[in-house]
Amino acid sequence: MAKSVLIDLTRCIGCRGCQIACKEWNERKAKKTEMRGEYTNPPELNSETYTHIKFVEQEKDNAPVWSFVKDQCLHCKDPACASACPVEALKKTEAGPVTYHFERCIGCRYCMLACPFYIPKYEWEKAAPWVQKCSFCSERIKADMIPSCIKTCPTGTMFYGEYDDVLKEGRNRISKNPGKYVDHIYGEKEAGGTSWMYLSNMPFESIGFNMNIMKRELPDLTWAYITKIPAVIGIVIVAGAASWALTRSKNSDKEE
Amino acid sequence: MTNHWIDLRNSDVILIMGSNAAENHPISFKWVIEAQQRGATLLSVDPRFTRTSAKADVFAPIRSGADIAFIGGMINYILQNNLYHKDYVRLYTNATFLLNRDFKMPGELDGIFSGYDSKKRKYDKKAWAFQTDASGVVKKDAGMSSPHCVLQLMKKHYSRYDIDTVSNITGTPKDSIEKVYQIYCSTGKPDKVATIMYAMGWTQHTVGTQNIRAMAIVQLLLGNIGRAGGGVNALRGESNVQGSTDHCLLFHILPGYLKTPRASQPTLQAYNDKYTPKTKEPLSANWWANYPKYSVSLLKAHYGANATKDNDFGYSWLPKLDDGQNASWLMIFHEMMQGKFKGFFAWGQNPTCSGSNAGKVRKALEKLDWMVNVNLFDNETGSFWKAPGVNTADIKTEVFFLPAAASMEKEGSITNSGRWAQWRYKAQEPQGQSLPDSEIINALFYRVKELYEKDGGAYPDPVTKLWWNYGQSGPEGTVNTHMIAKEINGYFMEDTETKGQPRKKGSLVPSFAHLKDDGSTCSGNWLYCNSYTEKGNMMARRSTKDPTGIGLYPEWSWCWPVNRRIIYNRASVDEYGRPWDPSRPVIKWDAAAKGGKGGWVGDVPDGGWPPMKNPDGSTNPKTKKAYIMKPAGVAHIFGPGRADGPFPEHYEPLECPIQENPMSKKHRINPTAKLFFELADDKRAKEGGGEPEDVFYSCDIRYPFVATTYRLTEHWQTGVMTRHQPWQLEMMPQIFVEMSKELAAEKGIKNGDKVKVSSGRGEIWARAVVTGRFKPFRVMNATVHQVGLPWCFGWQYPEDGSGGDSSNLLTPTIGDANTMIPETKAFMVNVEKI
Amino acid sequence: MTSHQKDIKMWTPFTMVLLLIMVLGGVVLIYRLVNGLGAATNLNDRFPWGLWIGVDVLGGVAMAAGGFLIAGAVYLFNWKKYKPIVRPAILNAFFGYLLAATAIMFDIGVPWRIWHPVVMWQIHSIMWVVAIHVVLYTATLATESSTMFFEKFKMESARKFVKLIMVPVVIFGVLLSVLHQSSLGAVYLIAPGKLSSLWYNSQLPTLFLISAVMMGLAMVSFETILSSRAFNHKPNMGILSGLARGCLIATIIYFVGKLYFLATGPGIGAAFAGTMEANMFLLEMVIGVAVPLVMLLMKNVRENINSIFFVNIMVISGILLNRLNVAIFGVYRDQSATGFSYFPSWMEIVVTLAFISMAVVGFKLASKYLRLFPETEAP
Repeated sequence: MAKSVLIDLTRCIGCRGCQIACKEWNERKAKKTEMRGEYTNPPELNSETYTHIKFVEQEKDNAPVWSFVKDQCLHCKDPACASACPVEALKKTEAGPVTYHFERCIGCRYCMLACPFYIPKYEWEKAAPWVQKCSFCSERIKADMIPSCIKTCPTGTMFYGEYDDVLKEGRNRISKNPGKYVDHIYGEKEAGGTSWMYLSNMPFESIGFNMNIMKRELPDLTWAYITKIPAVIGIVIVAGAASWALTRSKNSDKEE
Repeated sequence: MTNHWIDLRNSDVILIMGSNAAENHPISFKWVIEAQQRGATLLSVDPRFTRTSAKADVFAPIRSGADIAFIGGMINYILQNNLYHKDYVRLYTNATFLLNRDFKMPGELDGIFSGYDSKKRKYDKKAWAFQTDASGVVKKDAGMSSPHCVLQLMKKHYSRYDIDTVSNITGTPKDSIEKVYQIYCSTGKPDKVATIMYAMGWTQHTVGTQNIRAMAIVQLLLGNIGRAGGGVNALRGESNVQGSTDHCLLFHILPGYLKTPRASQPTLQAYNDKYTPKTKEPLSANWWANYPKYSVSLLKAHYGANATKDNDFGYSWLPKLDDGQNASWLMIFHEMMQGKFKGFFAWGQNPTCSGSNAGKVRKALEKLDWMVNVNLFDNETGSFWKAPGVNTADIKTEVFFLPAAASMEKEGSITNSGRWAQWRYKAQEPQGQSLPDSEIINALFYRVKELYEKDGGAYPDPVTKLWWNYGQSGPEGTVNTHMIAKEINGYFMEDTETKGQPRKKGSLVPSFAHLKDDGSTCSGNWLYCNSYTEKGNMMARRSTKDPTGIGLYPEWSWCWPVNRRIIYNRASVDEYGRPWDPSRPVIKWDAAAKGGKGGWVGDVPDGGWPPMKNPDGSTNPKTKKAYIMKPAGVAHIFGPGRADGPFPEHYEPLECPIQENPMSKKHRINPTAKLFFELADDKRAKEGGGEPEDVFYSCDIRYPFVATTYRLTEHWQTGVMTRHQPWQLEMMPQIFVEMSKELAAEKGIKNGDKVKVSSGRGEIWARAVVTGRFKPFRVMNATVHQVGLPWCFGWQYPEDGSGGDSSNLLTPTIGDANTMIPETKAFMVNVEKI
Repeated sequence: MTSHQKDIKMWTPFTMVLLLIMVLGGVVLIYRLVNGLGAATNLNDRFPWGLWIGVDVLGGVAMAAGGFLIAGAVYLFNWKKYKPIVRPAILNAFFGYLLAATAIMFDIGVPWRIWHPVVMWQIHSIMWVVAIHVVLYTATLATESSTMFFEKFKMESARKFVKLIMVPVVIFGVLLSVLHQSSLGAVYLIAPGKLSSLWYNSQLPTLFLISAVMMGLAMVSFETILSSRAFNHKPNMGILSGLARGCLIATIIYFVGKLYFLATGPGIGAAFAGTMEANMFLLEMVIGVAVPLVMLLMKNVRENINSIFFVNIMVISGILLNRLNVAIFGVYRDQSATGFSYFPSWMEIVVTLAFISMAVVGFKLASKYLRLFPETEAP
């Protein structure tokens, strides 16, 4: 069974312990930032930051609402990035994590284009750059340890377990707390389902979630094309050969 | 904390005010969120919508410095609506006590209580005395209906704090005030309980002590103290502030909250007499009557065999304060500024950034001959002589830097806010030349002692007579932390007998009930007696057993006093020893316990005496009243011990946006707060007298905006540890000033702009954070803007100066009337676009 | 070497400029290898692909479509009329692919692993399909054009062998081109939501193929006219008109297709929304499709060398713009909201210009030293 996580945004206090714990475990560096008028920093995930908290401020009934949204790889069940990678440098493992293997990577960055959540990041400044993203602490999971961010979280924002249990927990929380959550588990259907899912008390679109992500496995879109290739091969060869054969009489010209 | 961190989960209502726990005590939210999952309501009252407010069920904005008005209104709401826990109030507080008939209050005396001397800015507390009968026992009215009883006086005093008045002062919308009052005060029922989490947002005011007093009154009225999920909970600003206070970090106390002797107490007898409270109250335990046992045991711990009955146990070697002398933080730097100090140890601190009015601190250091900076890293204090704008050539101060080991590089205990002393082990050896603080002190001691022994000196005995038994001797010696911990607990100094058991000389004292005033015991801190016994190091225990089910975990580490996890727990039961709320009992009387003799089960009780009443309703003569530390055995709703009045009264901060105190025309600020800058009249400081560094401007058009300072999750204190940590700096790289969209529009400031923030004391630049989380207040029919700044930045690091400087360059020189904690949480500034 | 070939002057000022650009491009590429993509390009996490992919790869490959079209026409359909241009068309395609492959090599982060896809198969990946096609088709084109080199260096037996296998090789080439041209469009199928629906639709691969046909024919025609000017002889109007007719047919199909997917996708109005992406879409459609369509429908245009030349330029620029739009402007809206933006750095531009220069100089060298236009040679 695959591991999975439910992020209950109502519990997050935005302390960013996860952001630091992730950097510590994965030995990531810091990048130079500046205070731009909001707390989110670094402003986006990057090759040194696999996860961060986005601080989203809005108003509801004339009162401020401040949401803290943890952002990291969602580890799709059928990841677009892994299907996009020409050399299997990205892989969905049975344990749940989508892992990266630099020794295979050629650096084409198609994974970055393919990912609907803008997760894979690149080491632009390096001469032998890696694609970087959250690994769901796959090495820790292998050693039967809890992922670093989840281990650090003081408020139990992340519910970690087997996929079915996690999804059930999400449904339970919604049904047992009427009015507390919006009735949607983000990641249950998006991109065909993700291993990391979210519960929220604010509409997802208001806190920066992309609601236009297709509710189906994205690799199907390219697979539909690839499966037509054998037919195309057949048609072109047959048609080409036939045409040559039918018109070869005209082909008797001597070479000059 | 009267309770402890885990206990927060037992609450029904949690009020976070004067604290931003989610940001500054994020782990506390493990329990707050757990309480919320259980159905508890979280209330957040704060000038700014914080990460705490983001999780709250109700948020009420409040202008900085108006907390007593807000809580005073709550007291009024409780009394007007009869929401208080009557039995609790009657049994366990002094609400029934009768005051002298001529006692008057601010409502009658325009802002002051009886007994005020405006020249000395002090009260004569004789005016606040209770009526006593012929035998000296305080007169009471059990029905609490006499106009002179504390309850009725309190009702009269706070009747002035109606919701309209409160809203006018605090700027809090009326409906928010009512919502908070209604939810919080619903816990006056015996089966409901509420707690308060507060921190420096309450203490760092000229009325800091009274802020907390006001809340304590609320908690007593609602019967919430001593209960699981209740109490008054101070969230300490550092992991070991509780421990350092217990062990006398402050000038006015010795370890275990014994008093620092004064020059007018020349003998041990005079000292003990002065500080040992007496009571005529028949059923009061009056625990402090044991004072001489603790003071003598402390002297024995200091001077060992040199302390004998004949030499007053070395009492004369203790340093004495002059009568009336205040040696608090503000005074140290004030006098340093006047050239009264030659040298200074800045030990584990960074006053040039952390101190209120940091500009004054920076100037004061220039007056020193030498300074020793003991810290993990060099900091803005150690390098004050090369700060931007400082002419190094003009500074004579010689600075020494002693690198100290970090907490994880040494073994020892830390005491958290919940009073748990937890043993920690060394994770790695100290880096480079750094040494644990104890070894730095050890070396210092031996070198000073050598000098005294060699050269003599004016008074060598206080040093040469010390009993110094902490491991290897000599300045190069290593210190064994266990030896310190054992001495803090205390030894028997001779073969003796206590509680019917023989005790061997040199064995550890089992608990403070065994301490003696005859020199047969020593204890470095009576409160910690029981922490390291013959059974072992109690602080190192790690059992996760929870026999009560309310999360006391009695065998995890050790808690003062005598491992009592919730103090005042005798008030959690009724007269018969039955818990007010049987669903979450802290203790209860079990008649069958101890072989039918009866006993308390649950937490360690506040004394083992039986309940007040026998099952048949008759008074049990063996009982003692619940609040054992108070002379009369009851909690102080009327608190005559405070400098600034027995009931909290609203006064404005030193710098405020309004001309007059809405509660009293004559006294704008706390009438007993020490002034460093004399007021000519009540508005314009500059027309008065004082040093220019201490100037202030209240209700002045040049500094029109209320300001407050705060910490961030991402940085620790002045940031000396976290600004060197790139991950932390990445998240919070630069100083900023948060302001409302309305104020930003008025000043033409856009989000992220670099702005100048200035006060009467100094100016700094900061990045503007324009946010809906600050809203303009409506105060006395005028719009008042407030801004806020973190104080975790300093010029030295990051090295390119991109972080900015400390916001304490803006804060004023004035402190609380009781504690002298500086008022950094409410002052006035101007904000301009650069 | 014929006299015409001798007339071709190598060291013209124009060539010197091209060489200078190539040298500069070479220096930039070394700089890029040493310091990484971040130092040389303006690419970033929100714009992982830029000018090099948009123009050098997508554009270069589309321009090369002439190769398989003319080879197919001549060898498979035996339209002998086009035999005179089969060699330049194939050589042009070869250069196109060589340059695309080289550009890819410098664009990928770990160039020394360019061979990985050949041994690390991942058949679910369009990118793998693309990579394999580039390898195979470049080899095919090399084979197709090798006759000229064998001729030059008098390697008769090798030339004869190639001649023998030419037909299956051409069939293979056509097959690879059809797949490759369309699979470059298929690359974007996985990014609905990212690529604007002005461009994104389920038949993106087909539209890529059709537009490549337009571009390929226009390119061949364009080069034919240019080289005829260089060789100072009259171009074969029959060939040019034929190419124009082919281009017209492709353009009609493309226009209908684009219109259909615009109407059934975001709606016709989306093209007139006035946003940058809508304007870029309109520009691309006007230059590359609408104007050529209207012009080519007119018979006199198809028979006038100057107007054909003009239409060729329009089609080439328009389809190039289409590829650039898909690569950059079609994803701009989503990205720029995050504060990221992309405009190629001067180094990226220099490298792109250097690659184009290389193609031009290479073609010039081939014209001078190989028998590129055997049909036009003086008897």
